[in-house]
Amino acid sequence: MTRLAWLLLALFALGGCGGREQKTEIVIQRFFGECGAVYGQSIDVRAAETECGILTTLINRFEAENPDIELSINVVAWPGYPQLSAQIAAGDPPDLVTMHQSVISDYQGRGLLEPMDGLLREAGIGPRSFTAAGRLGVTKGGQIYALPWDTIGRLWHINTRLMAQAGLMDGSRPILPRSPQELLDHARRFKRATGRPYLIQAQVNAPDYYVANLYTYLLAHGAVIFPDGRHIRLNTPQAREIVALFRTLNAEGLTTRNQDFPAATASFMNGDGGIFPTGTWMIGPYDQEAASAGRPLQGHYAVLPFPRLWGNDAAFVDGHAWVMPRRERTPEQRRALARFLRFLAANNFEWTRTGHLPAFQAVLATPEFRALPHRADIAAMAATGAQLPDYVRRQSAIQGLIGEELEAAVTGIKPVEQALADAERRVNELLSQVL
Amino acid sequence: MSAGPRRIGLSTPALVGVIFGAAIMVAPLIWTLLLSFKSNADLMRDSATAFSGPYTLENYGAILQGSQVFRWLLNSAIVSLGTTAGVLILCSLAGYGFARLDFPFRRTLFVFVLLGLAIPEQAVILPRHQLFAELHLHNSYTGLILPGLVAPFGVFFMTQYFRAIPRELDEAALLDGASRFRLFWKVLLPLTIPAQATLGVFTFLGSWNDYWWPLISATRSDRFTLTVGLASSQMNYAQTSGLGFLMAQAVFASIPILIVYIIFQKQIVRAMAGAAVR
Repeated sequence: MTRLAWLLLALFALGGCGGREQKTEIVIQRFFGECGAVYGQSIDVRAAETECGILTTLINRFEAENPDIELSINVVAWPGYPQLSAQIAAGDPPDLVTMHQSVISDYQGRGLLEPMDGLLREAGIGPRSFTAAGRLGVTKGGQIYALPWDTIGRLWHINTRLMAQAGLMDGSRPILPRSPQELLDHARRFKRATGRPYLIQAQVNAPDYYVANLYTYLLAHGAVIFPDGRHIRLNTPQAREIVALFRTLNAEGLTTRNQDFPAATASFMNGDGGIFPTGTWMIGPYDQEAASAGRPLQGHYAVLPFPRLWGNDAAFVDGHAWVMPRRERTPEQRRALARFLRFLAANNFEWTRTGHLPAFQAVLATPEFRALPHRADIAAMAATGAQLPDYVRRQSAIQGLIGEELEAAVTGIKPVEQALADAERRVNELLSQVL
Repeated sequence: MSAGPRRIGLSTPALVGVIFGAAIMVAPLIWTLLLSFKSNADLMRDSATAFSGPYTLENYGAILQGSQVFRWLLNSAIVSLGTTAGVLILCSLAGYGFARLDFPFRRTLFVFVLLGLAIPEQAVILPRHQLFAELHLHNSYTGLILPGLVAPFGVFFMTQYFRAIPRELDEAALLDGASRFRLFWKVLLPLTIPAQATLGVFTFLGSWNDYWWPLISATRSDRFTLTVGLASSQMNYAQTSGLGFLMAQAVFASIPILIVYIIFQKQIVRAMAGAAVR
């Protein structure tokens, strides 16, 4: 009996060895949250919603279609950079990581990321297939350092009911200003007609808000904001004019004041103002609100790129991307990565349902994409979107410094010129310390 | 028999002040609790809807259905209990040594240990991280527990407690033929139970709530502690589009702590009042 038991055990063990398929494991690290409860088993990408849902189902589908590859998924707390830095320091980074395009320079500048030209070529993805904004976002020092995944930026989210009340609609299309003076005229007219502020702004705990406005309109001027990687040029007549405009809007009560992002969001949803300049990622929730019976936005929501107030059409944008930290990888792992990247690129349309703009020209041109709500109105941003030069590092920290000074200028705590001079000095100090 | 206030000897203005202070302390907790029972969509429109129905359990349902939440709960329990046990053992031994034993450089060593109180964790995080990387301790329970065992406050606390125990007890036990270890184990250690309970509770609470070290040491989701795991499951702009879920996470993470507090309430209050060391 004992002998039989041993025999069975040995057969079982051997069977286990023979039956186990050799899988190639790659470690994927991403933010966008965890939603295993809803989408943990789903491969129905089309039915998924939200960033987390769409990405989770995409990954599930890839695993189902590629049984020889095992994706080990790390979902990290937003934005995941402390963990990534720690992993790199420990010599054990993941194979593929989500990263903001504005952050890539911080890692690439220290030689911590692998150029991906070769791998993308192997995956059949050429940089020419990227949108202009996507290509700019992932090209550093002449090489491609990531697979661009989208373009994100600020848009004007508009309450068309209030705009109509102020006589600022041309049929179904909002009439947007074409100069700083026209912006003030529209805002004053809007306030007289509706009794509400023209703009809703997230000014508290949102240092990036004013910075995005400033960068956008400086780019429209064609200004060189960073002449090199160590200096910013901010105290210029153009910048002073832009900041002064926002100061006037604030001083005349043509905008909401003292609101953080959740409060500004609630204000817009409740019809407390006309236009909320905020991100592509809010199209979904606002569109849902516009479809809800009895809500102030019902049937009266539009979204457009920032109006051209100066110079050319421009938009300061960022984007999400997939980067490869430098580490040893087997040829099998590289092939598995190439397949996964090809899969992601082929499914870029699904991601655009989040509200973000596609990173691929082909998606931008599809009727499928254009049929999504408002996308045809905002698609231009994929071409006009611009980022800071690839040699500018610490972009997030820089935004924090400039944001503090701009907030002081807009609210009247500091004269505009002094705030811009202080911002310039503080940023230059920071850049002088970047290793 | 008069009511509580007279028993603790508070005048009416003082009582009003205490109630006012308590209300300020409790208000954010009640606010958090109310928000956690509201749907995210309602809160996105207006967070003041937390004061009126309808209420829902959907946020708690979403947490419990999370694919790894019970794993994170288990990890937190292992790390917190492991750290607490380790701190109690090491600090008791060290406290006894510093309080009762004569050895060269005792005072110098004690001062050296106390210097640890003045060094913030952030100051040593980089070398510690690199050391743990060299030793391949990241993404392990050992890696999460070990840093917590460095407890200069615990050593100081236990040393003071041992010093407060009369030396006559040692002499009597030694005269009866007890060894040093037996004296420590059978005679003195039982007398330090109140201090152990206080130190244990504080260590457990600190370890359970720790975020920074687990965030950078546990980079694989199956090794996340509850604090890091819950943070990782938040989507972007959670404070806007997932406020109810965010608050439910905060409540959920604090439930074990609440249980510990209820069980060890007496020790915590004594420790807060500075009454544990006598």
